[in-house]
Amino acid sequence: MSKPKLAIFDFTCCEGCQLQIVNLEEEILNLISLVNPVEWREAMSEHIGNYDIALIEGSITRPEDEEKLRRIRKRAKILVALGSCASTGGVNKLKNNFDLQEVKHCVYGQAADMPHLHTAPTKAIDEVVQVDYKIYGCPIDRREFAYIVRCLALGKSPEIPDYPVCVECKLQENICRYEYDEICLGPVTRAGCGARCPSCATWCFGCRGHIEEPNLSAAKEIMVRYGKTFQDLKNRMNIFGSKQRYADE
Amino acid sequence: MSIKKLDQAALDTWVNKLIANQSVYGVQAKGERFAFGPLSKAEDLRLDYDVTILPPKKYFQPQREDLLEFNAKGEYTSVTETEPFILFGVHPYDVVAIAQMDTIFSADNYDVHYMTRRHNATIVACDVQNASANVFAGCMNTATVTKGFDLLLTKIGEFYLAEAKTPKGEKLLTDLPGGLEPGNLDLARREQVWKDNTGLLRKHKLKCNPQELPGLLEKSYYAPVWEAKAKLCFSCGSCNLVCPTCYCFDVQDDVNWDLQSGKRTRAWDGCLLKDFAAVAGGHNFRSSRTDRYRHRFYRKAKYVAEKLNQIACVGCGRCISACVPKIANPVEVFNELL
Repeated sequence: MSKPKLAIFDFTCCEGCQLQIVNLEEEILNLISLVNPVEWREAMSEHIGNYDIALIEGSITRPEDEEKLRRIRKRAKILVALGSCASTGGVNKLKNNFDLQEVKHCVYGQAADMPHLHTAPTKAIDEVVQVDYKIYGCPIDRREFAYIVRCLALGKSPEIPDYPVCVECKLQENICRYEYDEICLGPVTRAGCGARCPSCATWCFGCRGHIEEPNLSAAKEIMVRYGKTFQDLKNRMNIFGSKQRYADE
Repeated sequence: MSIKKLDQAALDTWVNKLIANQSVYGVQAKGERFAFGPLSKAEDLRLDYDVTILPPKKYFQPQREDLLEFNAKGEYTSVTETEPFILFGVHPYDVVAIAQMDTIFSADNYDVHYMTRRHNATIVACDVQNASANVFAGCMNTATVTKGFDLLLTKIGEFYLAEAKTPKGEKLLTDLPGGLEPGNLDLARREQVWKDNTGLLRKHKLKCNPQELPGLLEKSYYAPVWEAKAKLCFSCGSCNLVCPTCYCFDVQDDVNWDLQSGKRTRAWDGCLLKDFAAVAGGHNFRSSRTDRYRHRFYRKAKYVAEKLNQIACVGCGRCISACVPKIANPVEVFNELL
């Protein structure tokens, strides 16, 4: 069996998820024993025409990127969203809370109207093309990435958690952040990170996005019990939850 | 079996001696809460704890464990842990829960992974010195225990009484340097601790006898409480995961990079989680929050209860503390159904 051809592309992002792949370090040799990387700007200079698996990092913020993404989709058998920006739009969706002209002027000042600074509302990649799998997280979890690649190489669907971060927090025997009077997004956020932030004594920022059926009305109602307001909750959700599904309820 | 009386200094010397001989897991402070963990010295042991975040079941059924290793030729080897250990400071309600798990894991299908660890364990129980905020063991007849442990420690004033219940416990006592023989007064004081604890460990008061719960649930399937409470449920499974009598697990296979070998692992699961009852073909036979919320109570006080003739709730109160929206309190639910 020939090795599946793997290509990695990046759109609007910090490229930190690709860096997590590079950070596999010695395991990267295992990775390339399994797949044949044919395009990967952050780690190699070669290019080739078609691929079995395309990993897409970053969100879509310019109309021309949509075209590029559609071309990749046509050439890829399996297309995988890599990280928060690609899977949910991530931090980049903060922009969608504001008027685009205002955003451009805030960032670029007088140069805001230069043609190459054209910008559009942020989209997750599944708002442009069909996505087969999503690898969540800001950044992605290396172990989960490695597991998903092995599953794809084997032709098996990976099991991606659709339960809240609370599950992993309990397994780690962490003290609940609500006991520290903090608003933690763990109860509505998809697990898979191993409850990394609460295990490091801070609240969950919700970087992996909501589970499929988040109980956001409960999240809202319990604020009173913890001496907080709905606005406090919305503020906490701004970073990774802006303009997500259910975000404005 | 023998009973010894020992002061704090003797206890410390004894515990350090035990640690020198084998692995000891004991209750220690974790921030402002408590947790069982590997004990490296007696002074870290906190027998005055109120409740641990997770129950000691994690030493018999770890959060995640390897079950077997396999290869593409169809060969496999079971993985079992064989190191003997001492579990030090288990509260009576957790002793009752462990005994119940022993039945679950040894009856129908004998679970070699659980039972190997269980046989390797020596359980040092300890009567509760400080009641936790949500404990209701007194209502569930689990505030004190007479079996299910190898040795029982009870604090009476400045001293501890250590009573061996099994040969394993007796063996531990042989390592005890300079224990005193307790007098009748000491034994009377211990009786008083048991009597007091039965009254003190009732932070929530169940308004019926636990034996009446299966009958109560029999007629409560369509009660409004299920939906009313479930509206605030995050389906996060915290109530399951901290429960000493929840034992459900999920089994997954993961292959190595060679795609020729791999391992099968199991991890804690919970019936409150959305995908818990999802089956092949995409059907989920408890897809609503209300169904899942109700199921936990039926499991605790009817299904398992009728099978084992014991309520599968020991009143530790961990679910009450762990539930962020505060809807998990079994006493509140049962009282509402009465």
